[in-house]
Amino acid sequence: MSDMTPAIELKQVTARYHTKPVLQDVSLAIEAGDMVGVLGPNGAGKSTLFAVLSGLLPPASGSAQLFGTDLHRIPPRERARLIAVVPQDLDIPVPYTVEEVVMMGRTASLGRFSSPTAADHQSVERALVYTDVADIRRSPLNELSGGERQRAIVAMALAQEPRIILMDEATSHLDINHRLEIMQLVERLNRDNGVTVLMISHDLQIAAEFSRRLIVLDHGRLVADGPPAEVLTEDTLRRVYHCDVQVHQDPHSGGLSILAAPRLPAPNMGKGIHIHVVGGGGCGEPFLRRLVLCGYTVTCGVLNRGDLDAEVAEALGIEAVLEQPFSAIGPEAIRKSHEMALTARAVVLSPVPFGTGNLANLELLEAARNAGRPVFMAQGIEERDYTPGRSAVARVRALASCGAEYYRDSTDLLARLPSVGQA
Amino acid sequence: MIYFIKDHRLSPSAAFRLVLALTPVILGLCVFMGPSGIGLPDPWSQREILILRITRVLTGFIIGGALSCAGVVFQAVLRNPLAEPYILGVSSGAGLGASLAILTGLAAAGAFILPLSAFIMAVLTLLIVHLLSNRGGGPSLYGLILSGVIVSSICSSILMFMISAASLEGMHSVLWWMLGDLEVTSYALLMISGVIVLAGTAGVWLMSRELNALTLGHTMAHHLGIRVKAALVAALLLATLVAATAVSVAGLIGFVGLIVPHIMRNLVGADHRRLVPAATVGGGAFLAICDAIARTIMPVEIPVGVVTALIGGPFFLYLLKRRRTPGWIE
Repeated sequence: MSDMTPAIELKQVTARYHTKPVLQDVSLAIEAGDMVGVLGPNGAGKSTLFAVLSGLLPPASGSAQLFGTDLHRIPPRERARLIAVVPQDLDIPVPYTVEEVVMMGRTASLGRFSSPTAADHQSVERALVYTDVADIRRSPLNELSGGERQRAIVAMALAQEPRIILMDEATSHLDINHRLEIMQLVERLNRDNGVTVLMISHDLQIAAEFSRRLIVLDHGRLVADGPPAEVLTEDTLRRVYHCDVQVHQDPHSGGLSILAAPRLPAPNMGKGIHIHVVGGGGCGEPFLRRLVLCGYTVTCGVLNRGDLDAEVAEALGIEAVLEQPFSAIGPEAIRKSHEMALTARAVVLSPVPFGTGNLANLELLEAARNAGRPVFMAQGIEERDYTPGRSAVARVRALASCGAEYYRDSTDLLARLPSVGQA
Repeated sequence: MIYFIKDHRLSPSAAFRLVLALTPVILGLCVFMGPSGIGLPDPWSQREILILRITRVLTGFIIGGALSCAGVVFQAVLRNPLAEPYILGVSSGAGLGASLAILTGLAAAGAFILPLSAFIMAVLTLLIVHLLSNRGGGPSLYGLILSGVIVSSICSSILMFMISAASLEGMHSVLWWMLGDLEVTSYALLMISGVIVLAGTAGVWLMSRELNALTLGHTMAHHLGIRVKAALVAALLLATLVAATAVSVAGLIGFVGLIVPHIMRNLVGADHRRLVPAATVGGGAFLAICDAIARTIMPVEIPVGVVTALIGGPFFLYLLKRRRTPGWIE
């Protein structure tokens, strides 16, 4: 086997659970001996990627190879010697001792008719010492603290003597001290033994510090790949995690420090400020929730009774103007919502699709704009206009030309809205 | 190497040797007990009684070992402390199969018919339970247990129906068999079931590696290099074979498959390489003792299932109460 063969190679892998695709067209090559962090928000496909790499989930299309061999052609015991997985936590219902669990790392090499060999014992011994659990080897695993237990589970993976280790959020239950300890242990394995390491982590700081390469998944696709300093940019992180972060590079060490959401809106930035939201169909939910969390006084309408947004409004205690289910907005509802919109400090249009039934809601925005109120509209009306003649697009554009602002997402909206500090 | 010993409990390997050494002694003592009094029957004048007692103790040993070994497998594979041959409907299915064989008169055709029909029905029940609980990817644990309990009670109802519809004579023999007793009706049946149980438990023992890994969860077992599906099927089939054989010989005897594995896990540890043999011989010894008590303690013989529950239940509760260490049940 040449040195050029990558430890892991995925070619256009698509994987799905049932029919729902969770990895789409992912191509990836990881060199032997690399240390790679896998980032992405919840549901991005990180765990699915690991399920494919460990042979749990065969790809629906594309190919997955370990050291140049197709994964599905590697027999299970052979595979266990190539790749080990350290899970986030292991729920072990029986009182196995540390030593017994670590010996289970040797499962693939134990004979059916023979006891563990000297080589097995030696490997277990090394793993016990390496992870500093040798002195608690006789303790039942489920009596240990979280840090000790996770070290024992890492020891089980080490006893497999794998060439690749997948760490699936392996340190996320641990406190910062044990987190660093486990990471240093893995780093040492990577450095001394050339073990290839892939780790899923939600701790960007640790990922940046210990990885030589970062890959970022979002909605099942690979969206960024490269050295930490290139991948961990404010722009990428905002795009993927939908929240603001600040990234600083230390000029001396070159280390990155990431501050999550330093510009998160203050909880009372909207105290006493009245905002009227035009929503519908559930698309207003994140706006309503975040506005209420920031202390704004929110009104909403016109909505149809039974609409998702109407339910959200009721749950959040938001006053809303309601129309009969599945019927067009009538004059009475328009009159009431006009009152609301004109007493509000600003009017917000959520990304609601328009049809002839709710087109009347645009009148609110026009009235508010004419009265000199700030109006904020979600981008992309072109994709949400289902009216004949696309009149909603025309009216929204007209509003924009007389001073209404577009916003990108709820974070962007909160930055634009009037707040207590400004007033 | 010197290890610091925290408490003065027996080390697992010492406990394992003790269990293996004590079992023949216990079996020997059981021969001394019987309805005709405590003491060894005279080998010459009371030859019949002696042979009867020895076969009785041997039957208890085989049945108890089979039930306990099956319990170990079900608990490991289902990762559930309450698992035993009853939980997946295996026992009731086997009971139904055996009753069918008795009522139709097929059982008289050959000694192997009874265990065979019990095994076939038990596997059928297991299959139905598996299919019921299978949603998409694989069966969920809770699904398995829930459908097992339900299928089990359906089997019991069918059994009750068959008994009530049967002739007086058939009803008598089925009821007698169901109550669970170790009276040996045929040496051929005992021989056949002994061979099946020996082979089955040996097979389970050889799967210790897989059972250990499966206890860590099916995903982790996969990562450790186990063919999870194949191992599950093999382990469940072996356990079903052994449990069905026990049921076909001795009827429905509860509690052995539940408590003996627990006690042994406390003594020799959870590693199946030790647990399987320890639980098997321990279960055998336990049932032999219970049967000896059932024969001796009252002027009339009481069903051995009553004794296993009366001894096992309180003892089990004591264990739960006494244990400070978190294990199966916290």
